Amino acid sequence: MAAQDPQSEDSRAGTLKAEREKKQQNLEPPKENALARALKAVERGGVPLITRDGLYAKLGSLTTGSGFAYGAGYRTHRFFERDAGIDLWAGTTMTQYWAAQARLQMPIAPEGRIVLNTYGRRHDYPMEDFFGIGPDSARADHTTFRVLATTVGVRANGRVVGPLAVGGGVEYLTPSVGDGKDEKVPPIGDVFDDESAPGLASQPDFVRSLAFVDVDWREPRNARRGGWYRAEWSHYEDRDQDLYSFDRFDLDLRQFFSVLSERRVFVARAFISTSHTPGDQTMPFYLMPSLGGNDSLRGFREYRFRGPHALLLQGEYRFEIWSGLDAALFYDAGKVEMRRQDLDLNGLESDYGFGFRFNTDNGMILRVDSAFGSRDGKHLWIVFGGTF
Amino acid sequence: MASISGLSLAARSSRWSAGAIVVMAILAAAGELVRVASPHFYADDPLWADDDMALDASGATPIEDANSYDFVVHTFAAPGDRRDVRAMNVNTLDEVPDSSWFQNRADRDRTVADLVRGPDRVSSISLDGWVISGGKSTGVQPGFRMTDPQGQLYQIELDPPDNPEMASGAEIIGTALYHAFGYHVVDVYLAELDPSHLVISEQATIWDPREARRRRLTRREIDKVLRRGARQPNGKYRVIVSRFAEGKPLGNFRYYGTRPDDPNDIVPHEHRRELRGARVFAAWLNHDDSRGINSLDMLTADGGRNYIKHYMFDFGSTLGSGTIYVQRHRPGNEYILEWKPGWLTLATLGFYTRPWLHIDYPDDAPPAVGRIEATAFTPEQWKPEYPNPAFDNMRPDDAFWAARIVSTLDAASIRAIVEKARYSDPRATKYMTDILMKRREKVLRTWLTAVNPVVDFALSNSGEFTFANAAQQAGVAGPAQGYILQWSRFDNATGAATKVGDPTETVEMSSAAPAALVADARAGDYVEVAVAARHPEHAAWTTPVTVHFRRGADRWDLVGVRRVP
Repeated sequence: MAAQDPQSEDSRAGTLKAEREKKQQNLEPPKENALARALKAVERGGVPLITRDGLYAKLGSLTTGSGFAYGAGYRTHRFFERDAGIDLWAGTTMTQYWAAQARLQMPIAPEGRIVLNTYGRRHDYPMEDFFGIGPDSARADHTTFRVLATTVGVRANGRVVGPLAVGGGVEYLTPSVGDGKDEKVPPIGDVFDDESAPGLASQPDFVRSLAFVDVDWREPRNARRGGWYRAEWSHYEDRDQDLYSFDRFDLDLRQFFSVLSERRVFVARAFISTSHTPGDQTMPFYLMPSLGGNDSLRGFREYRFRGPHALLLQGEYRFEIWSGLDAALFYDAGKVEMRRQDLDLNGLESDYGFGFRFNTDNGMILRVDSAFGSRDGKHLWIVFGGTF
Repeated sequence: MASISGLSLAARSSRWSAGAIVVMAILAAAGELVRVASPHFYADDPLWADDDMALDASGATPIEDANSYDFVVHTFAAPGDRRDVRAMNVNTLDEVPDSSWFQNRADRDRTVADLVRGPDRVSSISLDGWVISGGKSTGVQPGFRMTDPQGQLYQIELDPPDNPEMASGAEIIGTALYHAFGYHVVDVYLAELDPSHLVISEQATIWDPREARRRRLTRREIDKVLRRGARQPNGKYRVIVSRFAEGKPLGNFRYYGTRPDDPNDIVPHEHRRELRGARVFAAWLNHDDSRGINSLDMLTADGGRNYIKHYMFDFGSTLGSGTIYVQRHRPGNEYILEWKPGWLTLATLGFYTRPWLHIDYPDDAPPAVGRIEATAFTPEQWKPEYPNPAFDNMRPDDAFWAARIVSTLDAASIRAIVEKARYSDPRATKYMTDILMKRREKVLRTWLTAVNPVVDFALSNSGEFTFANAAQQAGVAGPAQGYILQWSRFDNATGAATKVGDPTETVEMSSAAPAALVADARAGDYVEVAVAARHPEHAAWTTPVTVHFRRGADRWDLVGVRRVP
């Protein structure tokens, strides 16, 4: 490099230096536009706000059909400076549903291999749909009922090896059922009685004992391969009337296959729920499995079918449009039955449709499904969270 | 570097509106006028060191772009000055001078050992006596901070459990290569962490986003971090140890505009050759994460001066690594958001399949190398995660500059750098070396041949003009059928070239300059020679490269090379 006086503008170095000195006279701090400020605020404050400890906004849904819920809560994941977490919240909806819940979660074995959950919940769902029980229920019999219940319980979940987990628990339930509050739909008592809707006349307290086996080897959490299989047995013990004790067994099998670098995913789900009631006992309608709604038979209204036994088969083909957005084609079929031996593939209700899934590897954030092909008309579901 | 004089007048604003571009065009025109009044070559040309560290930048404040903003603005807003113009910080030899951004390392007498050492100050590091001094608050890779006995701060990061050695290997190789290219990078080392000998400082804290506060860092948190990392059979952890750069952090640089608070920063970043040409390096190494938020500006105090030094960092998502998982299929092949393939996929219910979905990655690749291949790799089609203004502005002459640097790294160098990653499986070393060599060959074949590749010009006192062919040297093109030379007398004051004689053609890469032009030349005289080439496979070679020599006291000095795409 040739030597040259950098102070002189007759040199390359000098001209550059002169330009820099000129700029030096007009320095200003970097400015952020409104979009940059907004996105930074969301990234640094908004997203953590959803999961942060302390007071938080409870947003989402209370139960299927409740509508959008809002409320407030308080939580900490380091209760008494341990890994134990507590979570207290209360929320309500525009449809006058409300719920309040307290939960204490505490690992009781190293590395969280066994976790103990203790919880209490009070909820009031004033407009639950009911169309009758069994496969022949009619849409014309649409009614609503109110269920007010308190549940307290404790569960233990233990990771055995790899994806295998087992657990069990016991809880105390105090359901109270009455006429629904929806002014547009008749209350349950106008159409049904205790014979056609067992348990409508009076509701005992229950002690529920449960045990489950769970194998979850989905990868990733918003699965593109692997499977999730769960079997759960519950015994509901009528504590007051000795009329409504029963056993219920649920088997939920979900399998994920993918091709084309996991950008095309095929999902199959089979859900079977069956129950056993001793000869002098009856299963109350409000504890029966149901089909219909955004996560089962999507071409039918929520809780369209109820019965002591249920079968649901679902298939979904998901294809990635862009990172974070999948489209899906789906087909649902299922039925409820009054007798276990009728739980076959005959007379299945069915629907089909398409949808979109906004997702991350860890799960679906928002799902939009349009369902057709059922005898219940077309249905559009916009749901925060996934399906299966 | 006349282009700097002309265009950087407009570089003061980082806000690129249409109005600003119009103003810039006017100023650029004004710059041309100024240039006419200035000599074409200054006496200190070619400038090999751009002293962009001279003026005090201590008043600069941090720029810390959010991930989401960086994605949104580059995907939807196309920031920066998108024009097909020559890079504005090249010297008159079409090269990049040393600066706070870049240091020429390719042409020095470096050894393989130099390349392997890269930015590292020491050959190895032991974590004995080190103290955990804080949590790691940014990035997806599990880790924490440690302080050595001298008080120097380092970042410690682990590999994902399913792919031991993958991210750390990518970090080591990427850092060494980016240093070899000429960028400023921080020291990174491999070390072994023994979880039974960890000491946590009493003052160590970690930012807890759920509690929205810093709190004491405990062994429980460290154990959680370690559970997310790959543990070796001996119970220890292989970790990446990254030394914090000296100075005061000023956030990231952007691949467009200039820092309005840095007096030294006068060339729009999208017109800096080393940032444009970084696309070539990124393609070679599959550095899909090459974006502003993976850069670092440090206010550096040196010799009484305070200037901003620009670093590239975080090479964990290069090669076959996606940092915490094996690299996905899309990165490198498609932006996160590209409209057309998405709409096609939707319209055909997924029956349209993107080409990259059919890339066949070897099933037997060792886990440590992740997912990378060379067969389907097409350099000119490679893409980062989302548009990068400097990459988008890359022209064939920028790419040629970068490809020449790549060409200086031979098989032995590359293998030595890969060996620095200390893969425990020899197959991983071989696989990665082979892949890098195959991708290198494609990079060179693509970008060394896209412009007229004549280089290394010299004019002897006897008037013999010699040069070389970079593509031929690299083995990616056969000899040209001939080279056409047009000599001129060059008036440095006006920039006018007066032809001397008719064009001559030579098959050899040497020729005698016209005696009338060089025999009686006096000190300060200039000659120009335009060199075109004929090659049946490379039509672009017919565009001549214009070369200028200046007569010194006792020799001809090469002062100008202009390679027009």
